[in-house]
Amino acid sequence: MNLALLSHEWLVVALGLCLLVADLWTPASARRILGYVAAAGLGAILLYSLIAVRPELQPACGNMYVLDGLALFFKRFFLAAAIIVLLMSAEFFDRLQAGIGEFYALVLFALTGMLFAASANDFALLFVSLELITVTFYVLASFQRTRLNSLEAGVKYLIMGALSTSFTVFGIALVYGISRKLNFNDLAAVAPQFGGNRIFLFGLLLVLVGLGFKIAAFPFQLWAPDVYQGAPSPTTAFLAVGSKAAGFVLLLRVLFVAVPDITAQWSRLLIVISGITILYGNLCAIPQRNIKRLLGYSSIAHAGYMLLGIAASAATIANTTQNPGAGAAAVLYYLGGYLFAVLGAFTVICLALRHVENEDIPALAGLGQRSPLLATTLTLAMVSLAGIPPLAGFFGKFLLFKAALAQGPAHPAYYWLVAAAIAGVVISLWYYFGVVHAVYWSKEAANLSPISISRTMRATLYACVAGMFFIGLCPGPLLDCAAEAVKALRL
Amino acid sequence: MNTLPWLILLLPLGAAAFITLFAQGNRKLSAGLSIAAVVAGFVLSLVFVSSNPWEPARESTFTWLAIGGFQVDFGLRFDALSLLMVLVVTGVAGVIHIYSWGYMKDDPGVSRYFACLSLFTFSMLGIVLASNFIELFIFWELVGVSSYLLIGFWFERPAAADAGKKAFLTNRLGDFGFLFGILMVWTIFGSLNFSALQEKLTLNPGILGGAATLIGLLLFCGAVGKSAQFPLHVWLPDAMEGPTPVSALIHAATMVAAGVYMLCRIFFLLNPPSLEVISWIGGFTAVLSAVIALQQDDIKRILAYSTLSQLGYMVMGVGLQDPTQAMFHLTTHAFFKALLFLGAGSVIIAMHHEQDIWKMGALRGKMPVTFWTFLAGTLALSAVWPFSGFFSKDAIIAQALSRQNYPLFVLGITVAGLTSFYMFRLVFVVFFGGEKSAPAGHAQESPQGMLWPLRILAAFSIIGGVIGIETVYGLRFPSGEAQHMLSGWEGVWQRLWMPFEHSPGAASVGLLAAAIGFLAAFALYWKAAADPLPTKLGALSRAMRDRFYFDEIYEALFIRPHDFLAAIAAWFDRWIIAGVAVRGTHGTTELLGRALRLVQTGNLQTHAIIFALGVAFLLYFALR
Repeated sequence: MNLALLSHEWLVVALGLCLLVADLWTPASARRILGYVAAAGLGAILLYSLIAVRPELQPACGNMYVLDGLALFFKRFFLAAAIIVLLMSAEFFDRLQAGIGEFYALVLFALTGMLFAASANDFALLFVSLELITVTFYVLASFQRTRLNSLEAGVKYLIMGALSTSFTVFGIALVYGISRKLNFNDLAAVAPQFGGNRIFLFGLLLVLVGLGFKIAAFPFQLWAPDVYQGAPSPTTAFLAVGSKAAGFVLLLRVLFVAVPDITAQWSRLLIVISGITILYGNLCAIPQRNIKRLLGYSSIAHAGYMLLGIAASAATIANTTQNPGAGAAAVLYYLGGYLFAVLGAFTVICLALRHVENEDIPALAGLGQRSPLLATTLTLAMVSLAGIPPLAGFFGKFLLFKAALAQGPAHPAYYWLVAAAIAGVVISLWYYFGVVHAVYWSKEAANLSPISISRTMRATLYACVAGMFFIGLCPGPLLDCAAEAVKALRL
Repeated sequence: MNTLPWLILLLPLGAAAFITLFAQGNRKLSAGLSIAAVVAGFVLSLVFVSSNPWEPARESTFTWLAIGGFQVDFGLRFDALSLLMVLVVTGVAGVIHIYSWGYMKDDPGVSRYFACLSLFTFSMLGIVLASNFIELFIFWELVGVSSYLLIGFWFERPAAADAGKKAFLTNRLGDFGFLFGILMVWTIFGSLNFSALQEKLTLNPGILGGAATLIGLLLFCGAVGKSAQFPLHVWLPDAMEGPTPVSALIHAATMVAAGVYMLCRIFFLLNPPSLEVISWIGGFTAVLSAVIALQQDDIKRILAYSTLSQLGYMVMGVGLQDPTQAMFHLTTHAFFKALLFLGAGSVIIAMHHEQDIWKMGALRGKMPVTFWTFLAGTLALSAVWPFSGFFSKDAIIAQALSRQNYPLFVLGITVAGLTSFYMFRLVFVVFFGGEKSAPAGHAQESPQGMLWPLRILAAFSIIGGVIGIETVYGLRFPSGEAQHMLSGWEGVWQRLWMPFEHSPGAASVGLLAAAIGFLAAFALYWKAAADPLPTKLGALSRAMRDRFYFDEIYEALFIRPHDFLAAIAAWFDRWIIAGVAVRGTHGTTELLGRALRLVQTGNLQTHAIIFALGVAFLLYFALR
């Protein structure tokens, strides 16, 4: 067993444990600093990953775990997201009544789960990493113990999560029962012969239910708005970016490594789910007054857009096209742009709505005067999520739609899917610009006192803005990385 | 070798960004950064040019976007045309930036001013260095934006805000045609890179087929807008509402010349019929605006119409198939017209922002440096030997003669006479005669920071014709005769006499016309207290004064019907689209949203049931 391959995971776990121990000796007033230490540590690990780790296919733990381009892409993605989330948490410190040290450590443990998920090549590891993420998030969501909303979010997430886990584990059991395989590569070898076995397909679908829950796809999306609204903002941000991306990497592995031949038959199912998810998320977002709830629905819609890319890839398995990885690569690219936009938005929410009981959109009134930097970042994040050039979101949607349209000649259903997605984009402009409107033109501003922003937060905001612009204006580097990463899939 | 031009291009952008983001409150830092960026650009261009040959053309390119087979490059192109133009732009812009500090020092928006100026310099350099049409078009539009921002710099004055809008919208019209032309080029060639286009055209001269003339004219539309040629010339005089250094840099020396530059850049795409149209549009604009200039009273407007008229010469030069001389005139014009505008700015400051020439007078003694440099600029513009304007203008008129295009030759000579007339009218009224108002009595010379730019530009206005500018441009367009010139002092001597050897007829008739213009101006305006022409010419003079009613004609012909259509469209938008379609969709969408929200009860049991139903749906859908 090659333990050196697991260096990312070891390092993050070690960092988390050190943090817990250090917490014992740190006076309460200085615990906030530990967040910066943790972020710096993750920064070092990310740097090490970028410099020292090469994306050659290397299996470990009896091929349960692989370190290939896809895994590495997602590991770096999760590390970057966790760094920003930790910095955000340090800023959020005053609103967590106790145990900021534990909060940091839990973020790191959830991150470990995501890192494992990125490398999972086996249903056992898939399940363990999924549970590691979900269980940690139960605690992270209910961390504001004295706030009823937060507790409610934690409980709801726990119960719905347990429900979905039960489906997943049942599904894994059925798949194993029929095929006697847990490893994705082994399964790929035998899966074609079970293509007509309904119990096998039943099991696979139940696994997909669990993953659909993670990414908040229709019809398993109901938890998202409640949990997003109630959980502390850094948790929500991590949930929206990290947890969702973990769902997507597992989905990619299951669909395109373990059972590509069966996935090819499911393109219609994916089209329907993607279309409904997009429309559902965007339509429900319209009447929302709470910004975090709104972003919850928006995250459902974005899961739909990314499913569109997966649906496009599913069609390429059966018929050979010029660029089979385009859909999956577009998903990865899209996640890159999504990371900066969502984390930017949540950082702003963290800072701007510090002294407000609930994060209603009207509370953003006057932000344009109170802090131009926050207002600009939030505006750019909304504009990027809405998909307007030259920001990252536009190019991501462009690539996704392009990949789907390329399948149109063979399956006209893709044209309908793109039409639905474009309708979704148009609807989304409405509520995204509602937020922008509240920031600059709302007349009901009660509080116009300027907001002071610490230097680290300033840097974080600049980083998010730079990320949105860079990915949008120079799509080349990230696109190359994404195209390289999806070579790990059987497309 | 290739990092240097990128640095030259990006320095002003960096300055603009830094000033906007961090230096808004610091006037000196803003000005310093902006000036440093462009002066450094000039020095670096000198270094680059001295260490690299003018020709052959080279490119420094990276791929900006590549989606499937579609690829957009972002590249810089270096050849004689672009490199010399970079020197001119950074040089003239540098001098004007320095002058601006003296002129704008006390304005509250000085940081914004310098940020916009730097943005403009960046965009202009982008046009000059662009290696393909997409890039050219992006910078073309950026130049339009910075011009808009600077014309409307004093946006609290309605006239300035309106002028900015007018400039922007008029340019839009031209750019619409330009964009169509670019799209047609792309459809036919499948490429937009200038070198690739030229190669394909050389390999297959008939590739354009019947579309050749249409493409040529559509591309020319861009130049008509940007270089303010008839019939889109109306925006340039109004653009004088901007600060005077802006008028000097953007609306005289560089941006308006971008149209001519673009025509030279794509000269290989223009076929004889479209060149014929181009030459006539240029000639007509030259004579029309020279006539209008005769009866203007605002010192900047006279210069603005003169700019239009000179741009007409350049466009005519391109149309007469001599891009070398068009670029030559563009360059000398950049020197002397920038000088004249800066001189006018110096006068305007001394007169406490009075621009009516009939309220000035007798400024010669009070502002000696301004006077002498202004006189040098006037002599250059009036094409008096051996000032720079003589050589470049004579070359274009001589080209008309050698191509036996006698109507355009006569037109060119007429404009030369008119130019000399209206410029000496200006000089006599402003600098000679009696003081026509109280401020003229106590006018003072401007500070040294504003005078040195005048001296530098005056020097180049004098010698610009004989230092070999046309020889360098000639390297790019080798059909001309300019490349047989000697170098060093002998070359200067040779150039000094060349017009008389090469085309003695054109040179002597041109000088004669200038002399007649001067004498007429002397007879009418020497020590005149009021304009004698209106009484002599009557209605014609009024028509000239009112710019031949172009604004009014456009108002009646285009703006009224446009407003009418707009009113209909607004009605349609308000009642049909917004009322029925959007409200309807809005209503349905919102209703749908609210209905879906009912599903989201927040009740955990309901959620769990819906989850289970969802699983059932999924299984049914996939397994049935």
